[in-house]
Amino acid sequence: MNARFITAALLTTGITLAALNAEARTLIQNKGSDTLVNVAQAWAEKYRDINPEVAVAVSGGGSGTGIAAMINGTVDIANSSRKMKKRELEQARKRGRNPVEHVVGYDALAVYLHPNNPVKSLTIAQIADIYGRKGKVKKWTDLGIEVPGCKGQKIILVSRQNNSGTYAYFKKAVLGKRGKYRMGTLDMHGSKDVVELVEKTPCAIGYSGLAYATDHVKLACVSKTAGAACVIPSVAAASDGSYPIARPLYMYTNGEPKGEIKGYMDWIYSEQGQCIIVEKGYAPIREVRCK
Amino acid sequence: MDNHMFAATELNQKNQRTEKLVRLLFILMAGLLILPVLIILFTLVYKGSSILSIDFLFTNPTNGMTEGGIFPALLGTIWLVVVALIVSVPLGIAAAIYLSEYAPDNWGTRLINLAIINLAGVPSIVHALFGLGAFVVFFNFGTSILAASLTLAIMTLPVVIVATRESLQAVPHAFREACWNMGATRWQTIRRVVLPNAVSGILTGVILEVSRSAGETAPIMFTGAVFFSPFLPQGVMDQTMAMSLHLFVVSTQVPNVPENLPYGVALVLIGMVLIMNSISIAFRMHLRGKKKW
Repeated sequence: MNARFITAALLTTGITLAALNAEARTLIQNKGSDTLVNVAQAWAEKYRDINPEVAVAVSGGGSGTGIAAMINGTVDIANSSRKMKKRELEQARKRGRNPVEHVVGYDALAVYLHPNNPVKSLTIAQIADIYGRKGKVKKWTDLGIEVPGCKGQKIILVSRQNNSGTYAYFKKAVLGKRGKYRMGTLDMHGSKDVVELVEKTPCAIGYSGLAYATDHVKLACVSKTAGAACVIPSVAAASDGSYPIARPLYMYTNGEPKGEIKGYMDWIYSEQGQCIIVEKGYAPIREVRCK
Repeated sequence: MDNHMFAATELNQKNQRTEKLVRLLFILMAGLLILPVLIILFTLVYKGSSILSIDFLFTNPTNGMTEGGIFPALLGTIWLVVVALIVSVPLGIAAAIYLSEYAPDNWGTRLINLAIINLAGVPSIVHALFGLGAFVVFFNFGTSILAASLTLAIMTLPVVIVATRESLQAVPHAFREACWNMGATRWQTIRRVVLPNAVSGILTGVILEVSRSAGETAPIMFTGAVFFSPFLPQGVMDQTMAMSLHLFVVSTQVPNVPENLPYGVALVLIGMVLIMNSISIAFRMHLRGKKKW
């Protein structure tokens, strides 16, 4: 009799769940880049008010995850903070899919420092010397400065796990195509973790999206070459191309977007959609006037 | 002790002192176990209770998940757990009944037992990858509540089997013999005598499974749970938000989350599990009160 009671209880719960809020809708699957995930989430959340019949389910996991899902055909829109590789495009086409690229915004990678750190500006070459396997800068004193509160002045390198789009982009933009990160970096599993660690560690240097800046951390002013004026990372500097470590952010659809997906993509490009990306600390694709 | 013949010798006294010391040490060690639980609960209540409200439980997250409630995640977790139970409870109880009541003691049974022990020892992330390969890709359920719940069901099956088997074996064998002597078949005996007497133990297994599936993150993050979905799940083929993943997301992935939000999510999650556990304990005590042996 008790077994019967348990079964009945389970069934009732199941039916109640099924009956709860039965609204008609189309589901859009959106997956990929951790850099874009918070923007994607904000878009999905806001779009509910614009078109209540469309539900956008957002997952993170990294650009690679999103692209793999696009190749496997399990998503409608893949988020990526890098271009799809030739090999990946071929794989997708072999499976009868036709990924179409859309640039939805720009990401500027800021170089984060502890607030005690006296460094104001860094050239790309200096950052490469700090992060690169062949670089010579291992201590803050090698740059001719001393960081208060940092024992031994040894630089603590904060990096990302190697399937992160941020990891790949920073490597390409700073160390060059064939460059390698120095051994012994601390590889964090989230953009936010990098900033949090740097906040607490005087010896540390880290890179992460500009969106993750807080009041408790310092952003380095970065110059392309030794002579050039340095640029403080900002939304404006990212979209006009003056900041050297900025990249486009992509969304991939299977073929040119149609129907509800087109409606969603069009809205992302609208003033409202682009203002959301600005709100999250990224740069829009064109000048927009936001409240 | 008055009798001087039995007065404590020096050796006795030394032994008694050691006994006391050892006893104290063990009490201390056992007492230490309470400490982490109390610290965790205290921290969660202290830091998270300020956000708790009916609205927090029953509204959607808003403003980039930094405000609003957790309703989709709460409902998602209930979905995942209920579907997992529907699969694993009948399967687990049936397997346990076979192992306890029917199985002969041969290499086949030992193999099954070994498999159960090993299944219980598999790390949850391996279950997650198995679920991804088997349910999401091979059976083509896609990332869905169904795939996630099946993964959870397989992961928690040993809990149900072991708890059920143990409670069946705790029913005195004399009960069965008495029943058989009345001419009852094996199944009649199980149905009318063994199972009713084992319900409290079986229930413990089920509740343990609920607690474990509600808290697991790895097995669901590849198979059915999403970072964000503005809609509530409506069927087993939908994806869903879940409490455990939501906790991971708000505490590591989303910038500018107010400090009490992750603690609030953790508090609700732990509260769900504690309430379930308390209900089962109360129910067990009620059932045990009726037992006559």
